[in-house]
This record gives sequence, C-alpha cells and structure tokens, in this order.
Amino acid sequence: MQKGSKDNLEDQRSKRVLVIGGGIAGLTVAWELARLDVDVDLVEKSSFLGGYAIQFCCKATDECQKCGACSVEKRLLEVIQEPKITVHLKSELKRVSRNGRFPYTISRRPLCVDPQRCTNCGLCLEKCPAPEAIVRGYSKNNVPLYAVDETKCLYFRDESCRLCQELCPEKAIHLDQKPHHVSQEADAVVVASGFQPFDPVNRPRYGYGINRNLITALDLERMLREKGEVLRLSDNKAPERIAFIQCVGSRDHQLRHGFCSQVCCGYAMRMAEAIHYRHPEIKVAIFYIDIQNCGKSFSGFYERCKDNIRFVRFMPGDIFQGEGDQLVLCYANEQDGHAIREAFDLVVLSVGIMPGASNVGLADMLKIDLDKHGFLASADSLDDTCTSQAGIFLAGTAHGPKDIADSMAQAGRAAGKVAQYLQTIDGSNKQEDFTG
Amino acid sequence: MNTSVLVLGGRWTGIKAASELADLGYGVILVDDSTKLGGEASFDHFVSSNGDELSTLLDRVTAHEAVETLLSTKFVSLIGAAGGFRVRLQQDDKVFERSVGAVIVALEAETVSLAGKYGLHRAGNVLSQSEIEAVLAAAGEDKQLPGDGFKDIVFVVGLHEEENPLVMERTIRSALEIQVSDGCQATVLVNNVKLAEDGLEGLYKRSRKTGVLYFKLREQPQITQNGSNLRINFFDAVLHHNVELTPDVLVVEEAFRPHRAATCVAQVLGIDTDSEGFLQPDNVHFFPVRTNREGIYVIGSARRPCNLMHGWTDVENTVLEIRQLLGKDKKLVPAEKVKVHRGKCTLCLTCVRVCPHNAISWDNRAVISTVACQGCGICASECPMDAIQIVDYSDDQIEAQILTSMDKEVDGPRIIVFCCQNSAYEAAQMAQVFQMSAPAPNAFQTIKVPCAGKVDVDHILKAFQAGAEGVLVLACHKDNCKSQQGNTFAGWRVEDAKRMLSEVGLEEERLGFATIASNMPVEFVRITGEMEHKLNQLGPSRIRRQAAA
Repeated sequence: MQKGSKDNLEDQRSKRVLVIGGGIAGLTVAWELARLDVDVDLVEKSSFLGGYAIQFCCKATDECQKCGACSVEKRLLEVIQEPKITVHLKSELKRVSRNGRFPYTISRRPLCVDPQRCTNCGLCLEKCPAPEAIVRGYSKNNVPLYAVDETKCLYFRDESCRLCQELCPEKAIHLDQKPHHVSQEADAVVVASGFQPFDPVNRPRYGYGINRNLITALDLERMLREKGEVLRLSDNKAPERIAFIQCVGSRDHQLRHGFCSQVCCGYAMRMAEAIHYRHPEIKVAIFYIDIQNCGKSFSGFYERCKDNIRFVRFMPGDIFQGEGDQLVLCYANEQDGHAIREAFDLVVLSVGIMPGASNVGLADMLKIDLDKHGFLASADSLDDTCTSQAGIFLAGTAHGPKDIADSMAQAGRAAGKVAQYLQTIDGSNKQEDFTG
Repeated sequence: MNTSVLVLGGRWTGIKAASELADLGYGVILVDDSTKLGGEASFDHFVSSNGDELSTLLDRVTAHEAVETLLSTKFVSLIGAAGGFRVRLQQDDKVFERSVGAVIVALEAETVSLAGKYGLHRAGNVLSQSEIEAVLAAAGEDKQLPGDGFKDIVFVVGLHEEENPLVMERTIRSALEIQVSDGCQATVLVNNVKLAEDGLEGLYKRSRKTGVLYFKLREQPQITQNGSNLRINFFDAVLHHNVELTPDVLVVEEAFRPHRAATCVAQVLGIDTDSEGFLQPDNVHFFPVRTNREGIYVIGSARRPCNLMHGWTDVENTVLEIRQLLGKDKKLVPAEKVKVHRGKCTLCLTCVRVCPHNAISWDNRAVISTVACQGCGICASECPMDAIQIVDYSDDQIEAQILTSMDKEVDGPRIIVFCCQNSAYEAAQMAQVFQMSAPAPNAFQTIKVPCAGKVDVDHILKAFQAGAEGVLVLACHKDNCKSQQGNTFAGWRVEDAKRMLSEVGLEEERLGFATIASNMPVEFVRITGEMEHKLNQLGPSRIRRQAAA
C-alpha cells in the first residue's frame, strides 16, 4: 500500500472538530476522529475526563458481567495519549456561530494544577484546610489527578489561604490563574454533553438525605469502586440486607419522565450479583415494575440472578425509619395482596438518566431541537446522531438514555458521520486511495 | 493488501454496509443465499416506516459499480488473514473463489412463532404476530377488521422466555391498532414489559390510555384451544383472583433466533457464538462490532436482536474499523509482534490450535500473520520448542526482568506479580498513583505481560529459583480476556506450576492466581496484601533458606 494523494491528506489535516463533553461518548468520538487524522478540541465542563462512566465500579463476579466500566478506563488512556486531541478541562462553550465553519468561544476556569509538574503526591489534598476544596480524579488516567474547586477554596473566596501552593514540592499549583476565553474555529461540532442522574430529592416520599443508609446507585458505584465493598454509611458496617428500588425518576409520568432509563435494571442486577459473589451472606432484594434486558444472552443472566437475588414486583411508595438505622419498606404480597413491612440495612435508589443540565443552553446556542423530555433530538429516524443542523451531531446520553456500550457505538457512528460531512464540505467527495 | 470487502447477508444492514463502503471506494462483494436483496420481513417498524429511503438505498447499491451482488450464493469457506482472505462461494453446483481484505457478517436474525411453546397449534383463531400484522395491514387505513370473529383479541408475550423491546414493540403496536378499531378490545398477557428502547414507554402508555389491557403474569396462563373456543385462565396478582378470558383470537409472540446459517458460518470463520447462538461473544474488548479475528466483523441482528437504527450504527462502526485496517496510510507495515524461530519449529501445530485469533498458518514451518496477530503470546507459551518469541516480551527479556528485580532491597517477603497489561498492570499503577496501602512498597515487583496467557510455567519457576518468596499471576476476569482464553491458559499453568512446586518441596500457597480488572486498584491491594500475609506466616522459602545457608 502507498499513501493516498497528498492534497487529500492535507485537507484532512486542516480539519478541526469541536467535541462538547468528555464522558465516554465524547472520548470515543474524539478518539475515532483522531484515528481518522482529524484534530479534535475536547471541551469538558468538570475538572476530569470520563464523565459518570469513569466513576463506575467493576461488577465482575468470577466472570465479567459486561458492564463496560473498564472499557472507559481504556478509552480514557487512549485519549490522553493521543496528540491530535486537545483537552480543555473546566471549560464551557459560550458562543458559537456559523460561517461555513463554526467559530466558537469557550470559557476556561483556572485549572490551577500544572499537569506537567504534578507528581500525584497528594500533599495538597492532605493538607488543604477547606473541605472538598481539593478534589481527586477517579482514575489514574485523569491528568492532572488533583484539581482545585474554586467554589470551596479559601483563596478563591477571600485570598486567605495559599497553603497548597506553598506546600507543593513541585510548584505545580498556581492559584492566581484567571478564567479566560479561548476562541477557535471548528469544521463540525459533536454534542456529547451527557446526562444528569435523577436527584431523588425530587421524590420526597423516599426521604433521601434523611437516613444515611438510603443511597443512590451512583453512590453505590463509587463506594464499590473506591472501597471494593459495600458499607452502611451510618456505622461503616457491612449491611445484612440490601434493597434496590428500580425506576427512581424513570417511567414516572407524574414527573413527566415518560421514558425508561434503559440502564438501571442492568446496573442493579450486576451490582447485586457482584455483592452476592463477594459476600454471599448479604441478602439482596430488587423491587421493580418490569425487569429490562441488559447485554447479550439476557435470559441466562436473569436466571442466574434469580438464584441469588430476590425479585419483588412492587414499587414501595414510602420509606420509613426502622429500628436503629434500618429502613423499612412496605409492599404487597403478590399472592394475597397483604401488606408486608420489611426492614433493610441499606436501600439503594436506582436513579435514572435525566436530560443534562446544559441541554437547554446548548440547544439554544446551536439551534438544535430538544425532544419532549428535554434530551437533544435527532432529526433522522434511522440515524440518531443527526441533528436538524448540518455539521452538528449527537453522541451518547445527551440524546437519550444509553448504557456504556450503546454510547460508544453511537459515538462511533457520530465520528463516521462527521468524517462524511467533512468530505462533503470540501465539495469533492473524495474516495480512499489504494493501490489494491 | 486486498481492499475489497465481503458482506455476508443481503438484508438491510448488509445493503447499508455495502453502500457505505462502496461510496468510500472499497470494492464490495454482497452475498446472500436468497433470490432477492432486502428480504421479506417488514416487522421492524423502522423498515416498514422508511420504505422510500430503503428502496433508494437498494437502487443505489444495485447500480453501484463497486458492488458485486451474488444472490442464491452460499458461503463455503475462508482461509488466510485480514487483508488477504481467500473466500470460496457456491452458486448452484459451481464453486468459485474471491479474495477480500475483510469480512462483514450481516446475517440477520429470524423470527419463529412460539405457539408450540404455549401448547397451541395454528388455527384460524390462533395467529402468530406476523399473521396479525398481515391482517392489520390488509385492514388498511380505515381499520376494517374481518367481521365479528375479530372483536376480542388477546396477545401472549414474554411468558415462555424473556423477550426483548423489539418483540414488545410489535405487540404494543398491533394491540394499539386493534384497540382503535371499532368495537375491538386488545388484551396483553405479559411478564416483564420490555421498554428499554427509545420511545417505547410512551407507546406503552398511549396503548394503555387508549384502552389496551395488560395483565402481568409470572408464568404461562392455562390455555385451552378447542376448535373455535379459546379459554384462558390465570391468577391476577393485582385483582387477587382468578381471571378467565374467552377471546375470539389469540396472538402468540414470535421470538428472534439467530440466522439459520449462523452456527455454520461461525465455525467456518473461526469466530464464536454466544449462548443463544448469536454471533460474536459478548466481550467488552470487542465493542461493538469486532470479533476475535482481525478483519471479521459482526453487525446488526447477526449479533443480537436489534432494530434497523442500531443495525446501521453497527455499519458505521464497521466502516471505521475497516478504514483503520485497509484504508489509506494506515498500518502501512503492521508492527511485528512475534517471531518464529524456523530452525526450532517442528511443525507440531500446537500454536495453530491455541491461537484465539486464527493468526497462524504454516508452510513448512509455522507462519504468523502480522495483521491478524494480537501479540497475546499464548502460542509462545504453549510452544513445546520455545520456537515463538513475542517482541518486547521474549522469554529472555522476562527472565532478565525477574533477575533485575532481585537486586532491589526489600523489607518484606519478595513477591513477583505477573500482570496482564489490560487489567492487573493498570490496576497496579492505579493503586500506586492513589497511594493505596500496598504491602511494603518495594516488596513486590510487577512484571507486565501482554496477556496472562503469556506467563510460562518456566517464568514462574524462574521467579522462585531467583529468590521470590511468592508469585502471583493476575489475569482478566473470565469472558473479559481480549484473547478469550489467555486467562484460562494462565490458570492451567499456575495449576501445573503448583504441582511442580510441591514436588520440589515448596508450599503451593506461595503461588497464586486471581482475576482482576483495570479499575480495581483496591482489589489489587487486597490480593497482594493477602499474599504477603500468607508468606509472612509461611516464613522464608526452602530455596531462600538454602541460599542463606
């Protein structure tokens, strides 16, 4: 094989794509585009790449449960090693216009930690006097691993503290950095701005926030990832009985959430299996409306789960305080309809995937549509990456609920669509060159 | 490298793949064993509601000069590796050969009626899902259903096996259509209503609002089919009493099954099927369309029941993969990952049998395809002649690493940890970055391997011989090995090595095997910590004691 025609290569090299969001979908789009020789600006609002998916735990028993959490780790590593991708952390899109290309401006909050100098020693986190003002990333592939949260940092409040900057043995911390704007032009835009998990405070009958042993599934993901085991927050002891409540925020027509989040049954069953495998003495029950499929060969997986997990087809309306720090669920016996009150040590709310907080702003800025639930709408029933605007594409949960595998697949498709689009704006539908 | 692509299966995902690749300038051979592209089935809502777009697509593919369409053609065999596959095809009794660089399997799933599974036989009042769809299509826009015998219609779905959103969508759509017809009542008996697909919850809700009744059962109802009389009995958990239905018509679900040729094609291609017979094992390393073999991809409902939208997402992902594999200025010379010592090879073909990627063939010695090889090293460790060496992970290099690690001063029992680069090595690094409390920081030494399947018994023994108090082999979890069997081979070798250790009087517990993922630093610390604890209890090994003496 020989290289393709020279001008073709140069055309490709001059192309830049703006990817909004550094979760698994954004990472995948960026990486696939880089593999196609396209330069990418990857804009991430938070201090760390990886989105929610990088916070998820491995749910393997003695065998892999195919949740895909480890593939996020791998993709993140690939992205940070890829020179064609420029990562902008703590950055948000402020303006975008259209002149054939997409001139845009992003605002960057100060990163404060110099990734080249930081050696991950963690002294800043250890010594910082303000709670949560220094935060650590979720993966070793988060670069830099530590970040300053300027909403909690004392320096950003009243310049009263520079301890981390003074202590840092590598002189990697610079608190006096100022927010600034970066202006660029892109040839295409991919919106991969993700979702937000349902906040159970919006279902007040559960009383989330009152009893510490009532947690969300996202809390459980982080706990399993960080500690490797499940503990009650009230006393740091292993729970004997755990209940998962499904469809918290999803399929809830009262809240106008007339959609299934598509991931909760999968993560709940997988986490329940992982917990059972490590601690068979812990009894797990899942309260549900309808069990949804996850992964391939679901029947077999579900059957195996039924051996270890109790499935109760009932949605408990209220959660009551029990003895000690226990939580009591009330549900009906499926055979005779009698009410049963059962105490659990830990209750996990399987919170659903809700439209991202930035969807409205992005839709407005980019002149693309929202669907009736507030997700970004695709404009083609056979292609969920297409928006109503040429050159603007969707990937991942910005468009609607998806698991990791589906987000990655849709992101791959978006990258392919961007590549096609970049060729059409050249006005010449160039083909790949081969010697055959 | 050959840049044409064989597409097996001429339904809508196959046609789409052919079209996309041809537009990029790849030659395409589109093969189907039926007499017509596109197939018959229109159950997929996406297919039935996008007729115009699909017929345009079909016209384009048929007219495209880069696409060679071979109908009534069977796929017979395949040899070679990515970039240079030789494929044999059969038309009637004529067998012929083609060369291609990559293969896409787009053999779409088939539907079967589950009437028999419900103890029913086909009759005028017992219809399959396809049959009711045909009736409804014939009824036309004004929804004139055929006569009085078509008023009270019951659907049974998901009560034989867990179905999926595709099956559910068909049921809900038909039930809704019936419900809006004059004087008709649709009732659905179902276990789990599968709605994990965009828009389905809304459709389900609408059908309920319109009056479709849903009963959720745990198991199949009792159904008596007696000529024109149908009687259905079950216990309803919401009403808490027995319910009897005597519908005019009973509609039985249809389940998705792999294409009839799937098993055969998988065998010929050397790729795996899952427990339901769909192609491509569910391995996260292959997301979404790759297989254990480089250059062979599985798309659409060949890999799991899916609608056209998701099938076409697979198409785009495959096109990306093919551009990387065969496209311009990519992999001009794939890096050599493995070397065969032709003087040592005795052509025992062990490597050919164990290679999970079908990368090995032979002339008068084993030949390993640089394109197909993934560098896992399973062959190198299984080769009885040590004739295969992995670049960067040769036996000498690994042994040198073991010996070098012994120079380090340690303040605890010395542990060598062989780490698969895809999981344990990442977890070890993560534990280090997060400064998790590991065993005495310099007491263990990680040795990175491309796959746990590369860890030889020799390496393990060498480590003990050189002075290690304990050895750990850490692999990926079952079904998570990028080379499928690497973790299994590693487990076997550890068992072998344990036997050898006990023969020379070393405690078996000094050698451990565990599975782990890249995002489990805590688990890494736990495993190494447990090994350290065990070794402290056992005290210095016999070899160390002798060396000390």
